[in-house]
Amino acid sequence: MASATYLSNPGVMINSINLTDMCTAATVTNMIESLEATAFGSTSRSFVGGLANQEITLDLYMSYAATETYATLAALVGTTTTVKVASTDAALTTATATTPRFELVGCYLESLPVINATMGELSTISITFTGGVLTTVVS
Amino acid sequence: MKYTIKSNRVGVIGTEFVPDEGTNIEALLANGFIESDEPSDSHASKSAKTKEPAKKD
Repeated sequence: MASATYLSNPGVMINSINLTDMCTAATVTNMIESLEATAFGSTSRSFVGGLANQEITLDLYMSYAATETYATLAALVGTTTTVKVASTDAALTTATATTPRFELVGCYLESLPVINATMGELSTISITFTGGVLTTVVS
Repeated sequence: MKYTIKSNRVGVIGTEFVPDEGTNIEALLANGFIESDEPSDSHASKSAKTKEPAKKD
């Protein structure tokens, strides 16, 4: 029988600041760069693992109010921090095998859209943290 | 150095903040999410008062 995961209330924490109520989408990607190892005599390409190159992408509602989105992120541009994404808000503090938490320590925020506005819509931004060390916490 | 939580987005206000590995403390302090128990050294020191020369009519 097929099994699927429906996430309605994941938890998101950026630099120890809980922004779960501002987040609408989160993607955590665990990537190991591929290095080509194909040599003479090969009939198909082959690859070996290189450096880890992790990434977390978040979609957030923008708010310039104190201690909200802009205040959280503005000082992080060009620096490194820790981002945590869990399958439930509770798992941000207490993860389990079925509600894991993914932590990217030392990830870099290269850019922040400071205004992304459309007439008649709530302002949203998409940000990407790259690099760092990804850890899966299950207890 | 001890830090105190000043925003409920970080935790219970008034309790001690213990930073996780990789936490950017400067960003949290800069935007008032937490407070340090040590006085900030970011304020510019006062310049010495100098006597203005007396005006001549």
